[in-house]
Amino acid sequence: MTTAQRLEHTLRKKGYADISCTEWRNSIRLEGELDDWKAIVKAGKIAAKAGYKGVINDIALKGFTPPPTRAPKRRDNALEGRRPDVLIIGGGVIGCAIARELSKYALDILLLDKESDVAMHASSRNDGMIHPGIASHADSLRGKMNVKGNAMYTQLCEELGVPFKRYGNLILYADHVFGIAAEPYLGERARKLGIVGGKISRRRLHEIEPNITDRALGAFEYPSSGVLSPYKLTVALAENAVENGAQVSLETIVTSMELEGEQIGSVYTNRGAIHPRLVINAAGVFSDQIAEMANDRFFSIHPRKGELVILDKKKGPLVTRSMGLIDLSQATSDTKGGGVMRTIDQNVLVGPDAYEQPLREDFSTHRENIDAILKKHLPLIKGFTPADVITYFAGIRAATYEEEFIIERSEYVPNLVHAAGIQSPGLASAPAIAEEISRITVNALNEQMEVKPNGSFNPHRRVVPHMSSLSMEEKQRIISQNPDYGVIICRCEGISKGEIVDTIHSPIPATTIDAIKRRVRPGMGRCQGGFCSPLVTQIICEETGLTPEEVTKSGEDSNLILERTHKGGVEHETV
Amino acid sequence: MKRYDVIVLGGGPAGLAAAISASREGASVLLIEREAKMGGILKQCIHDGFGLLRFGERLTGPEYADRFLKELLKMEIDYRTSAFVLNASRQRDGSFRLELQTQDGILYEECRALVLACGCREKTARQVWIHGDRPAGVYTAGTAQHFVNLMGCMPTKKCVILGSGDIGMIMARRLTLEGAEVEGVYEIKDAPAGLARNVAQCLNDYHIPLHLSTTVTRVIGTKRVEAVEVCQVDAHMQPIAGTERIIDCDALILSVGLLPENEIAEQLGVALDPATKGPFVDQRLMTSVPGVFCCGNALHVNDLVDYVSESGELAGKAAAHYTPASRCRVKLSYNKGDFLYAVPQYYDMEQPGPLTVYFRSRADRRGQTVTLLVNDQAAKKKNYLRLVPSEMETLTVAPAEPVRSLRLNMQARQ
Amino acid sequence: MKPTVQEMTCIVCPNGCRLQVVEKDGKIEVTGATCKKGVAFAENELRNPTRSIASTVKTIFPDCPYVSVKTDGELPKGQIMQAMEQINAVTLKERLPIGGIVLEDVFGVNIVVTSDMTATPAPCRIGGREQAAVSSPDQA
Repeated sequence: MTTAQRLEHTLRKKGYADISCTEWRNSIRLEGELDDWKAIVKAGKIAAKAGYKGVINDIALKGFTPPPTRAPKRRDNALEGRRPDVLIIGGGVIGCAIARELSKYALDILLLDKESDVAMHASSRNDGMIHPGIASHADSLRGKMNVKGNAMYTQLCEELGVPFKRYGNLILYADHVFGIAAEPYLGERARKLGIVGGKISRRRLHEIEPNITDRALGAFEYPSSGVLSPYKLTVALAENAVENGAQVSLETIVTSMELEGEQIGSVYTNRGAIHPRLVINAAGVFSDQIAEMANDRFFSIHPRKGELVILDKKKGPLVTRSMGLIDLSQATSDTKGGGVMRTIDQNVLVGPDAYEQPLREDFSTHRENIDAILKKHLPLIKGFTPADVITYFAGIRAATYEEEFIIERSEYVPNLVHAAGIQSPGLASAPAIAEEISRITVNALNEQMEVKPNGSFNPHRRVVPHMSSLSMEEKQRIISQNPDYGVIICRCEGISKGEIVDTIHSPIPATTIDAIKRRVRPGMGRCQGGFCSPLVTQIICEETGLTPEEVTKSGEDSNLILERTHKGGVEHETV
Repeated sequence: MKRYDVIVLGGGPAGLAAAISASREGASVLLIEREAKMGGILKQCIHDGFGLLRFGERLTGPEYADRFLKELLKMEIDYRTSAFVLNASRQRDGSFRLELQTQDGILYEECRALVLACGCREKTARQVWIHGDRPAGVYTAGTAQHFVNLMGCMPTKKCVILGSGDIGMIMARRLTLEGAEVEGVYEIKDAPAGLARNVAQCLNDYHIPLHLSTTVTRVIGTKRVEAVEVCQVDAHMQPIAGTERIIDCDALILSVGLLPENEIAEQLGVALDPATKGPFVDQRLMTSVPGVFCCGNALHVNDLVDYVSESGELAGKAAAHYTPASRCRVKLSYNKGDFLYAVPQYYDMEQPGPLTVYFRSRADRRGQTVTLLVNDQAAKKKNYLRLVPSEMETLTVAPAEPVRSLRLNMQARQ
Repeated sequence: MKPTVQEMTCIVCPNGCRLQVVEKDGKIEVTGATCKKGVAFAENELRNPTRSIASTVKTIFPDCPYVSVKTDGELPKGQIMQAMEQINAVTLKERLPIGGIVLEDVFGVNIVVTSDMTATPAPCRIGGREQAAVSSPDQA
């Protein structure tokens, strides 16, 4: 019996009657039809244990037609005929970190993203935690990249001017058996991966986190754990890459590829055909579809969604470390079960949860999920109430069935490099992944050209001052240079006009409400933009020449204003 | 540095009235406004109906504000607009120090007494647990009002309005006048949240349906709102499965409640009343922190601007005469089943003087008598044909003897 | 003739009295009103309902591109949308004080300005001195 037949047999024994398993290259493809998405995912997980390189799970969900990928409407030839050395597909934290890392070399780098901004999917839809690495298996790429990436963040954030704090992480338990059983297990993992930390006493726990309720009996503490704003980081990486010569093209979607022999010859987009020397697949939840275009789809993404809740900054001071109450079943699962944590902006994040569903771009939230998150985690801290909730959102993890990162040069397409299947802890791992992908890329390019360092590379990004975090003296100095920095536009977050104007004119111009919000935070506060969104709209108009009808929330078709009260428009005469 | 007698935070109707009244009492006054222009939310409330109690006229918001603004400009009152309070602290000697962010840099101001008149903000979609997507086209009524009335911009051509608060109903009319279609106003409660006259003149006049005991549960649309899901609710305001209905529209406009803005009060350690979400105050509108007064919608959300100005005047006058003194506060007690809230929550025995109690009934009740008892004696009795939560009521007494106890009672009339 | 009974909410003041209006043989009888204005409102509402409206008109002035306006009296309810058309066709080229007439005789009423375009207070006044920009004395 072949391995594929054995797998079919196993699946049949587990109740999967009509699933066919066929080998493709050194991976396994599952085909058939089922009427339950969870069963499809489970079949993929079973297949992942059969020892193949990857699982291509093509089992269809009965009655479900996947919606088309959301694509920009824009059509032009802005990129027609471009021949970059490196084409990066995907402007998430991985793609942007790779672009920045590669900009250390004298290379022509082009990064594409189909959305109106970078960090529009998972990179703006996560908790911003830089995990210590303790949640991953010691011999996994996820674990190794996490620990290495975590260590790189201090310097990286300093160079990019991205606020970063190592508040530490606590794994809490409510069961003494867990505390005793997990200690050797977590201790071994920490030793293997080189993570500092371990079990602390209940007294110590209540000393360092006095607002924890009595639910937690003890904890494991890992001080290297950090927090940052994942979208600020992604933007900073992209901006610094642009400052060092890379090009970012937004609202640009890859529609197909043409192979010349084994190599990718042309990459077709809505903005023209591109002929890159090398392609990097950093397309997140779409990374398997990009691989398919190059005839190299040896894995599948199963979108694992999570919902998250944000509490008012007033509650930030009640906790310092990120923490979650965990039981034995979670200790061995693919996700960490969520918890509560203080964000870099002093809000509190609660969640996320994790559930499998077939949609790759459905960021809707659901009452029952948010209610469950609040019910599960709020009682952990004295003083948290549902009235503190200011907003909630959802994100989707790009998980493979192997539950492992794919960081490698394609085995079959010599000019394709995969940074795929990057789910949690992808953010924490990003700098290490970028370094590794950069090494692979430079080696590959060296086969056809001589890759030289970029002599003028400047790791330091020009940073828009974040007024509310500066000292009075610094504020005074900045306002004296530019009085716009004295005019507060967002009262909840204390964001000035100067910050907004400078962000509009940054290396990746932020000209939508959401792009500005992600970078400098107007609208992130308790009023959620009620007061400031008309003012920000006006500033965008003043700075870009757009009319209010042309200003969008997040790119084309998301216009805020549909028409004027006085139709025909107003042309102001100079008086 | 000059130390003002009184600094007023906020240049809306409460702050303008407070500054004018403090100045009339001889105090040196500085008014600080975070926006570019004074007038507060009245600037965008272009509809009429303001000032009936105070001026006996139906003024529009800008006209009402203008009367106070002109008065303020005539008086010796200092003011700064586009000035944002970064930090407020009470100093050892009991005075207050403010750090301001302005175009001219970081400035510091000091005062003996502080009046908080920071107004309120609107609850957002997330605070009423709306789920689904997060596209463009979800606005609070105030934001929509800003776009339409100050910028000439229409945020919708066909919308659903959630919440029958006054601003929501007024925006329903306003958007209709400007050619938009308002599909309906949906209210989770079984009665309108705003004034009956607004149901009549804003909704009924324009044939806009009001759906009670119905709420919006979900927003649909990836880029711009494409539809919303509405759902009927049971007696506990929980959605009833099977009653969901999808309504095509390009916007969801929310008028689901207002919350006093009390971030500066919290910085100063002022105690807040969970019932009003504003500070606990005594009859002179002084908060738990001596020298800090509060008025207008920062104190509790009023239904009429006339009351906002009235409380501003009271707070301004009291702040002008403020000197540190010992306090002996008597709590105003009431049955929480009868009243949503009552303000002021305390009476300071050391400062004898009249007391005006503002209250809202918890439920819609007909034929009630409300009694204010001072020292267990009925000091004021008022009969009401009907009491509704959406309308604020007042009772004033001038206690002749020292106040030892205070109680507000509601009883069905015999 | 059979009496017609109608319920309406009085909109004269925020009290919003619920009125029961009975019309019989050309005579109107109103109950539920707590003042005389309510009776007058009900009579008017049956015979010739009128309303005031408020809106904005566009101007040529960049510092106030839109100015708020209202009707200086009440116009017939049925004519409101036509009045809006006229209001939205105006471009104001002159700075007017509150009460300044933008449009005359729109269905019997004038459209007047409700915010003062003629006087803009200085952004700041310290020590009685109006200032466009100031420096605090202790900032030297």
